[in-house]
Amino acid sequence: MEHTNEKFLIRLSGVTKTFPVASGIFHALNNMTLDIPRGQLMAITGKSGSGKSTLLNIISGIDKPTHGSVVVDGVRIDTLSESELASWRGINIGVVFQFFQLLPTLTIAENVMLPMDFCNRYPAKERRPRALALLQHVGIGDQADKLPSALSGGQQQRAAIARALANDPPVLMADEPTGNLDSQTSTAIFELFAGLARLGKTVIIVTHERDFASYFENTMAMADGKMVTELSHA
Amino acid sequence: MKTRYKKVMRDLLSGYAKNAMLVIAMAMGVFGVGAILGGYSVVKREMTANYMGTVPASATLEMEDSLKQGLIDSVRQWPGVSQAERHATVLARMRIDDKWFPLLLFVVDDFEHQRTNIARHVSGEQTPPTGTLLVERTAFVVMHAQEGDSLLVKTRHGEAKALKIVGTVHDAGLAPAWQEQAGYGYITLSTLRALGEDGGFDQLRILVSEHADSRDHIETKAKEIAIALNARHHGVHEIQIPPPGKHPHQSQMSAVMTIFVMFSFLVLVLASILVGTAVATIMVKHVRQIGVMKTLGANSRQIAVMYLTMVFALCLVALVIAIPLSRVAAAAFYDQIAVLLNLEIRDASIPVWVVAVQVFSGIGIPLLSAAVPVLRGSFISVRKALDNHGVGHRPQQQLSWTMKMLSSWKFAGDMFPLAMRNVFRQRSRLAMTLGLLAAGGAMFMMALNVSEAWEANLSRIYQQRLYDVEFRLNRLHPTDTLLAKLKSIPGVTHVEGWNSAAVAFSKGNKGVEVTRTYPDKGHGSFSMQALPVSTQLLRPDITAGRWLREGQANEVVLNQLATPMLSSVALGDTVSLTVNQHTTAWTVVGFVEDVGTPATAYVSIEAFAKAEDTAGKSNVLRVAYADRSKESTVKNNRLVEALLEKENIGVDATIPVWLLRNAIAGHMKVLVNSLMAMALLMAVVGTLGLMSTMSMNVLERTREIGVMRTLGATPRKIRSLVVWEGVSIGVMSIFLAFALSLLLSAYIGSFIGHMAFRTPLSLQISIVGVVAWVAMVMAGAYVATLYPSKRANTITTREALAYE
Ligand SMILES: Nc1ncnc2c1ncn2[C@@H]1O[C@H](COP(=O)(O)OP(=O)(O)OP(=O)(O)O)[C@@H](O)[C@H]1O
Ligand SMILES: [Mg+2]
Repeated sequence: MEHTNEKFLIRLSGVTKTFPVASGIFHALNNMTLDIPRGQLMAITGKSGSGKSTLLNIISGIDKPTHGSVVVDGVRIDTLSESELASWRGINIGVVFQFFQLLPTLTIAENVMLPMDFCNRYPAKERRPRALALLQHVGIGDQADKLPSALSGGQQQRAAIARALANDPPVLMADEPTGNLDSQTSTAIFELFAGLARLGKTVIIVTHERDFASYFENTMAMADGKMVTELSHA
Repeated sequence: MKTRYKKVMRDLLSGYAKNAMLVIAMAMGVFGVGAILGGYSVVKREMTANYMGTVPASATLEMEDSLKQGLIDSVRQWPGVSQAERHATVLARMRIDDKWFPLLLFVVDDFEHQRTNIARHVSGEQTPPTGTLLVERTAFVVMHAQEGDSLLVKTRHGEAKALKIVGTVHDAGLAPAWQEQAGYGYITLSTLRALGEDGGFDQLRILVSEHADSRDHIETKAKEIAIALNARHHGVHEIQIPPPGKHPHQSQMSAVMTIFVMFSFLVLVLASILVGTAVATIMVKHVRQIGVMKTLGANSRQIAVMYLTMVFALCLVALVIAIPLSRVAAAAFYDQIAVLLNLEIRDASIPVWVVAVQVFSGIGIPLLSAAVPVLRGSFISVRKALDNHGVGHRPQQQLSWTMKMLSSWKFAGDMFPLAMRNVFRQRSRLAMTLGLLAAGGAMFMMALNVSEAWEANLSRIYQQRLYDVEFRLNRLHPTDTLLAKLKSIPGVTHVEGWNSAAVAFSKGNKGVEVTRTYPDKGHGSFSMQALPVSTQLLRPDITAGRWLREGQANEVVLNQLATPMLSSVALGDTVSLTVNQHTTAWTVVGFVEDVGTPATAYVSIEAFAKAEDTAGKSNVLRVAYADRSKESTVKNNRLVEALLEKENIGVDATIPVWLLRNAIAGHMKVLVNSLMAMALLMAVVGTLGLMSTMSMNVLERTREIGVMRTLGATPRKIRSLVVWEGVSIGVMSIFLAFALSLLLSAYIGSFIGHMAFRTPLSLQISIVGVVAWVAMVMAGAYVATLYPSKRANTITTREALAYE
């Protein structure tokens, strides 16, 4: 997949996502057009039900838009098949979940190696050293061979971030990554994300936490499936 | 190893208790398949090898008088004939522990150069000197003797004489002597003379050189020779052509084995269904993990391969355990069957294809069964996988009427309604568990039912035969005063004089009759029994038409073994029957079933007397005693024999009904036992199914149980909840199993019955079977819930709530 040097890494135009519900059709995203620049730490905020998670799902190809197009790094993803999407996502999007979602029977290092295995990236011999380096980077190099259950919540989330970075994707996204963590630990996690953005990753985070607004270069507020504050494209 | 396969292995090991159950279930299936197929393949091969190794004669021509060596030499020159040999078979009696038993004496022309139906030398003398005999290896048990002992032998015309046993032979064409409750001896012509018989070799055995497997060709050749011999005034009165190349028990064996093979695969299929259900549960439990892996870049195919690998690994472990064990069992199995069929296993190697079948079916069937849930779970969209919260099927909105009804049963404490609701929560799993338990129970009960029906059918032998002993006389004797004398013996309640003669259906070929009789004269033989129409000693079950009527009308009633000898025969048909070279037409008026009797045509003694000119004479005496026990029969027989001896009446054979019963029982007992073994395997797999269902049900609800605990449910309550759930599944399965067992019993009973008696076994319900199965299921359900309920209670509330 070719990397373009466009200013905007992610471009949504006229994206609508509807769900059939008992009372008719529900618009989770309503004709959204959005350009997200490269290398930014960006926040998406909004009330519950405003469509934040839906937006992330559309960008990562987990959901397909009902109307409109999604282009990420020059690739139009809304037309890819499920299996094309799987390997595309594995390489281009690093996802961090709210509940960490480390696989319980694999060690921390193996959890990090798993995406490389699925996407067949990096020679097999280099995978473990790479996983260890990533774990070192997120600050838990000494936990590599433990099982997830032996780690604290903050450590697990760091491991999950290392796993999201496994295939060196340009985009990192996290849906309320600190929702389950105390504020001190949350600060550390946000600092980690900010550092990754400085290294050139595009980091999109859905968060309710107002205390960390200062970390973000850009904040987008959503309501009823629409953007209510424009992004500053400075 | 690739990281994803590391996950597969760790997942396997983390649920080892449950996986161990799956492995055991599959191992049982693979074991059963291997044991049965392995045993069968060896038996089948060795049966043919043994039988063909005896060089069975293509045909035996029964002559009117004895054959000279020169004649044999000229038959050997006959075109299309590769071997000819003269022989004689004499029915004699031997005395064992004060009782007379039938003894088949085979008179061999040249022991050094046997050409057909070869009795293989095992030990001792090769050729028995005059006054001695060789004994078939299976006959020693019947004779209570060993090599070197003497045996008191009496032939029809001679005095009782002691013959020394000087050697042992193996005759693979004969059923074991203990099965037939007869002795097999091998003597020379001079020994026969010493026994007081002046007859010679009256059998001509031939071997055709071409088309040895074609009955028609053999028949043509044999008739050619018979006609030529007749022309030279050597009368041939019967041609015996046993099914070419077929051991006397071959078709029975194949039929029984087919059933066993079917059952063994059924065990494997049920075990595989268990695996499929377990995998379905895993897929549901892992749905979030699958969503996560897909988010990390895994495609559906990779996920599917991971989970199929998991099943594959379980199969491999099962194979590794089961294959060696199955070979041991196969060896035990063919050894047992070999004893049953008097086979000498010379090549005990189990063919490679058996292992191949085990591997292919042991991997293929479980994979097939797991494929549906694995594919469904793997191809789920990321979105759905991530949305799905664990157990989630569609939550039930309303209680169904069954639930409401069940909920209102308060007799079992307040946990019972909740337990019932839990039972019905996973319907497909419930269906699977019920299916497994029902199939296991049905087969278990069926095996016991059939075994009881078998016993019942054996006792029909007593119900249909109201006599206790049959004396076969050396020739026709006048019976007018004899019967009254016999009746006056204390203990004797009734006596009848019958006539018995070898008979054949005539196809109109000039006096020479062709039968299917094997050389042991039992398998495939056909006799005519002429009896007083109002007999008080025989009560066969009439299946069509009616019994004989008084008078001299040529009416005949055929039994279940005689009927299939004709290609088609119906009531009212006329059949030509040849007795002593004398063919008469008879009208078929009825068909009967009489358990344990060879092919027989029943006719009235008056009609027979008219046709054969035997008025007032009999060659068979049937005697009924007041006390039918074996001990009393033995005692009474001596009184009767003493009287016959005083009257100067020679007896060829004394055949008590109990002996007959034992002979028939011996034929099939091992097979009924094997059926039981298969049923036990099924029962174990069924119980394992219940166990694994229960542990899955509990495991899945760990969170719920945690919540119940927080809300104040005591461990006792939780325990009774789980136990009630297991027990109610067990109870439901029992009813299903019972219904199914009736169907199965009828089917298998008819199959085995037809094989053994040519009549279906009656349907019997074994109370022992039902009680044993209920006890087993209840105990199984209880044990199956022990671990899950213990687990449900030992995990802390915190753990339970954190469980995903
Ligand atoms: N599969 C679905 N079917 C029907 N409605 C859906 C579905 N997925 C999402 N929605 C609806 O779309 C709207 C947006 O959902 P979304 O999960 O994007 O909200 P959110 O902003 O992430 O909320 P929260 O802060 O609670 O996570 C919600 O009202 C939700 O009920
Ligand atoms: Mg959300």
